[in-house]
Amino acid sequence: MHRLATRLLIAGILAVALPAIATAQMRILACEPEWAALASEIGGSDVVVHSATHGKQDAHYIRARPSLIAQARRADILFCSGADLEAGWLPVLMQRGARVVVQPGQPGNIMASDYVKLLEAHENADRSHGHVHPAGNPHVHLDPDNIDILARVLLKRLVSIDPENADGYRSRHADFTARWSDARKVWYSRARQLRGMKVVVYHASWPYLLQWTGIVRVTALEAKPGVPPTPSHLVKVLDRTSSDDAAKAILLTPFDPTDAAEWVSSRSTIPIVELPFTVGGHDGVDDLFSLFDVTLELLESANSQS
Amino acid sequence: MYNGSRLTASIVFGMLVTVFSVEAHAQSQRTVEEIRTELEALKQQYEDRLSTLEAQLEAIKSASRQDEDEPHAQDHSSGAPRDNIFNPSISLVLDGRLADYSADEWALAGFPAGHESERPPSGLSLGHSEIVMSGNIDDKFQGTLTLGLGVHPGEPVELELEEAYVRTLPGIGLVDGFRMTAGRALWTFGYLNEHHAHSDDFTDRPLPYRAYLDGAFNDDGAEVSFVLPTEMYAEFGGGVFRGDDMPFGGSESGVEAWSAYGRIGGDAGRDAAWRFGASILSGRAHDRMGAVHAHGHGDDHDDHDDHDDHDDEHDTHDDEMAGHDEDEDEHEHLADFFTGGAFTGNTRLVAIDFRYAWAPTGNPRQSELILQGEYFWRMESGLYGMMEEHEECEDPEDSHTCIIELEEVVLDLDGGSRGWYVQGVYKFSPQWRAGARYAQVGLPKDAEADSDHSAFSAMVDWSNSEFGRVRVQYNREHLHDQEDDNQIMLQYIMSLGAHGAHSF
Repeated sequence: MHRLATRLLIAGILAVALPAIATAQMRILACEPEWAALASEIGGSDVVVHSATHGKQDAHYIRARPSLIAQARRADILFCSGADLEAGWLPVLMQRGARVVVQPGQPGNIMASDYVKLLEAHENADRSHGHVHPAGNPHVHLDPDNIDILARVLLKRLVSIDPENADGYRSRHADFTARWSDARKVWYSRARQLRGMKVVVYHASWPYLLQWTGIVRVTALEAKPGVPPTPSHLVKVLDRTSSDDAAKAILLTPFDPTDAAEWVSSRSTIPIVELPFTVGGHDGVDDLFSLFDVTLELLESANSQS
Repeated sequence: MYNGSRLTASIVFGMLVTVFSVEAHAQSQRTVEEIRTELEALKQQYEDRLSTLEAQLEAIKSASRQDEDEPHAQDHSSGAPRDNIFNPSISLVLDGRLADYSADEWALAGFPAGHESERPPSGLSLGHSEIVMSGNIDDKFQGTLTLGLGVHPGEPVELELEEAYVRTLPGIGLVDGFRMTAGRALWTFGYLNEHHAHSDDFTDRPLPYRAYLDGAFNDDGAEVSFVLPTEMYAEFGGGVFRGDDMPFGGSESGVEAWSAYGRIGGDAGRDAAWRFGASILSGRAHDRMGAVHAHGHGDDHDDHDDHDDHDDEHDTHDDEMAGHDEDEDEHEHLADFFTGGAFTGNTRLVAIDFRYAWAPTGNPRQSELILQGEYFWRMESGLYGMMEEHEECEDPEDSHTCIIELEEVVLDLDGGSRGWYVQGVYKFSPQWRAGARYAQVGLPKDAEADSDHSAFSAMVDWSNSEFGRVRVQYNREHLHDQEDDNQIMLQYIMSLGAHGAHSF
């Protein structure tokens, strides 16, 4: 009788515990939605992805919320932009969460900016230049090639950390890369029409997008990165854009303040174009493919306006 | 006419083409065929060449991928505590004030106010200048040193070692979620204690922190903390301390105090977060020195003579009080003991803290509402000793026959007290914030008075960047047994150099 009860008990525990062990998925904490989207593409159902920020948030300035510390505490992989973009909060998550496998140099630590060529690196950075990143501009995800590189980096890490599911990671990666490469061909040919288009930006959020599309940045509404636009600088912006071959658009991210852009737009008739910037930044942008599709659509429609 | 001539030309051209094509039809059939084949061949050639080129490109790319998959040589990962450029990283905090008060005298009756809890000097003065040096010692430890330069009018510049600690890095690889700190630090207690005063939302610390902790508790000691591997944020920890800093003092054994705390927190929707915590700080004080100048203690009191009675019957002094006036005087006098006496006994502080932050657009940089509050219970009982002056006169008529004697009076008093504050700060534009705070501290139990010491504050501040802030604050402070004090304070706080991440 006792035996039976014990066996039943053990069976019961196993019934509850086994599925939990079997479905032990890799936990990926992505700092930005674009890396969360990439992690979902490669990881599929073998991973649980959590994004620290959403599409309408500036990843520069969020708080090290308690919920994020809890996420960092349990993460197997930390997937971020790096290059100081998250310097205001990520160190807190890493130190308070104190998860060993996601610390720098560990397999669970992926900083995208470590794997791509950074633009706008500064030799001498002083705070009087505004909020510059000495290592270079950290918004690396808007170049399709960089996504490709990071997909491969993530694959390698997933395979080494979770070899049991390696086949799944490899096949999803192969599938993603094939689709990505097809899409990239289309984007490149569409970008040819945008070459030479002139734009005004709010913040230095776009160098990687502008580089591969050949779009030219005339000026920025922020006189210095991270320092809100001043009236005197906006007047200068207006002067520079009032020439015949004016900018076609003022580019904003979903989280840039609109007042300065509206001021310039209303006096210069240059339209404000709010690009998605990241996954979730615009209606219908729910993965990396639609991110680039919608971005190009919006730029094309701005460019075709006279 | 231009249009006409163009039309004519097209018609002529069209006719010619028709004529030729009809005439040469038979012959052209072969030529077209030839051209088509040639084109086809050419196309094939180009496609071959293109695919060769594509293959070459792919080969070059995949060769370079080997490099791409390795991190670049330069290390710019933002994981480790910054700043890697200088080791240790150095930052300075500059703080200056201009203050004006309606009340000439200020005292936090019933508490041994130190430099950190006093009302800042009126007029122009420097606040707390700080030098912070910190860096990673190696892959397992991090170290921080904070020097506070206190300037008090009429006194030499006071150099205070605010922090000097080493702390384990996650790289130590003990247990996930575990952290240990040893040395002198702003220890975990309530919400504000572990935060540097320069990141406070108001110019002055709320009254309970000034009354119970003289600003902040930064004794010598060691602390551990552990974050649980749960979906909801949960952390607990505790420490042991020397027992030299307020609310303790005069440590004899060198380990006289301990603390424990627990915290939970989470998100409330997509753009709001909360945290709730409870802490206890407990230990023993030996001859903890009171304030240098106790309020109201001196010539204006005539009732010094009856102290001796209390010395013997301290536990029953409440029953002795007869008339109301006497009662008042008695409390006033006991308040002096709390303020100026040397305390030996047990002291325990319990606090609960709450914080809620909501960013309407998800971006705290643009706009944000933060609500915060803490409630404190102080349990303190023991002996208060004070030197009192006694005038002994041989001839009461002749002051020349009097001698002044100093005598130590010791009272057993209950210093239990409760205090709390709530505050709300709203950032209504990226550079502007406005806030209000109400703070209150109850006088120690045995110095009970009709009213508590309380203060209402309102502030507006402007930040040019995250490193520079200018603030104006108005306080209406209700001083115990005095007129209300209207305080206006203007303050700048600027920081230079490495700027660490701020916790929630």
